[in-house]
Amino acid sequence: MFETSSENPAPVRVVTEAIKEYVDRLGPIWIEGEISELNERSGGMAFMRLRDTSSDMSLSVMCYKTVLAPVSPLPANARVVIHAKPSWFTKNGSLTMSAKEIRQVGVGELLARLEALKEKLATEGLFSSDRKVDLPRLPRKVGLICGRNTDAEKDVVENARRRWPAVQFEIREVTVQGAAAVVEVSAALTELEADSEVDVIIITRGGGSFEDLLPFSDESLIRLAAECVTPIVSAIGHEKDAPLLDLVADYRASTPTDAAKRVVPDIAQEIADIEKIRERIYRRLMATIDFESNQIAQLRNRPVMRDPFVMVTTRLEELKGLRDRSHRGFSSLIEVEKKAIKGVRDHLRSLSPQSTMDRGYSVVQLSDGSIVRDATKLKAGTSLRIRAAKGETTATVDV
Amino acid sequence: MAAEKKLSYEAARDELAEIVESLEDGSASLEESLKLWERGEELAKICQEWLDGAKAKLDAAKKPAQ
Repeated sequence: MFETSSENPAPVRVVTEAIKEYVDRLGPIWIEGEISELNERSGGMAFMRLRDTSSDMSLSVMCYKTVLAPVSPLPANARVVIHAKPSWFTKNGSLTMSAKEIRQVGVGELLARLEALKEKLATEGLFSSDRKVDLPRLPRKVGLICGRNTDAEKDVVENARRRWPAVQFEIREVTVQGAAAVVEVSAALTELEADSEVDVIIITRGGGSFEDLLPFSDESLIRLAAECVTPIVSAIGHEKDAPLLDLVADYRASTPTDAAKRVVPDIAQEIADIEKIRERIYRRLMATIDFESNQIAQLRNRPVMRDPFVMVTTRLEELKGLRDRSHRGFSSLIEVEKKAIKGVRDHLRSLSPQSTMDRGYSVVQLSDGSIVRDATKLKAGTSLRIRAAKGETTATVDV
Repeated sequence: MAAEKKLSYEAARDELAEIVESLEDGSASLEESLKLWERGEELAKICQEWLDGAKAKLDAAKKPAQ
């Protein structure tokens, strides 16, 4: 456009006039954004800043107050669509969109878009239950994203401390409404997700208008939350509000207090539970010991153990029995022998000469014991032994 | 006896039960029976010591908690 060099530079007026000429040739376009600042100056002009709804980018917009009149008064963070043409101000080299028409994006339209986005993300599976992860039982650090000095922040912190006094927070106070909210909440979420000590992240804000809560349904924020590995608890607005963040979060808390209850256990309850478990262990072990003691007692009470003398007495009885038997056996043997002897003696007696001698006969024997049967053969002087029925004597042969 | 302390409760109890059975069976000689009985008494004592010890430990652990 210009031939310039360090020796032959273009003056500011030439450059800015050239830009103006270029910008002026641009036609009007439709732009959607959120109005964040609105200054109605005297002199019939109004100035405002039109912010992108998910990124930290904005345009300066101006219009006649009459253009603004049909949508006045605009609520805070109003979503608008403007028909505007860019204008270049040569005096300070700034670009401003000159709006010829401003339309507020109605709640109905926003709801319809939200519904469509919800459908789309659901189809992608971002809200599916198998994506949800369990909250930690006891997190090392709790990440908390909330507005500055808000009740929501206090509710979470106080309730969590009450339940678990040693709870540690990593708090990020951010803008929680308007277009800046998406940017700041996203930045805080990215930061807390990167902190390895943060085991769970709570995103909270109190109730607000539909528009106030819109950042928590922003597509880029929802996708970022879905990517987070750290479990997320959302506690946005009231029960009836259902920002998409609730759907992608691992747990949807009804209130900031509920979020606090979810992220830390109740210390009193934990102590009571542990006590109960201890009691159960104690009773169980005691029952085992009692059972075993009973087993041992039974074994010790068995006759062989309780009365070990049985061991000896049974054997003593056995011994006595054997002795008796042996005694009895021996006695009868003697009887038998006695009878036998008596018989023999009787027989002996029947053979004895006594009875003959009793009748007056005597037996004459020689000194060698032989009986004299033939008296004629006796020589004089021979000694004789004469046995009578009673007693005996000696004699000498005369002839 | 110190070595006996190392016998586990279950090992002592099972051996005691076996001894009582063989004593009741009555097939062992007197000398053997005496030895078995002595061993049985020893085992019963070990078992009792284990159980008493366990109970004392439990009671000691329970007291400060209450």
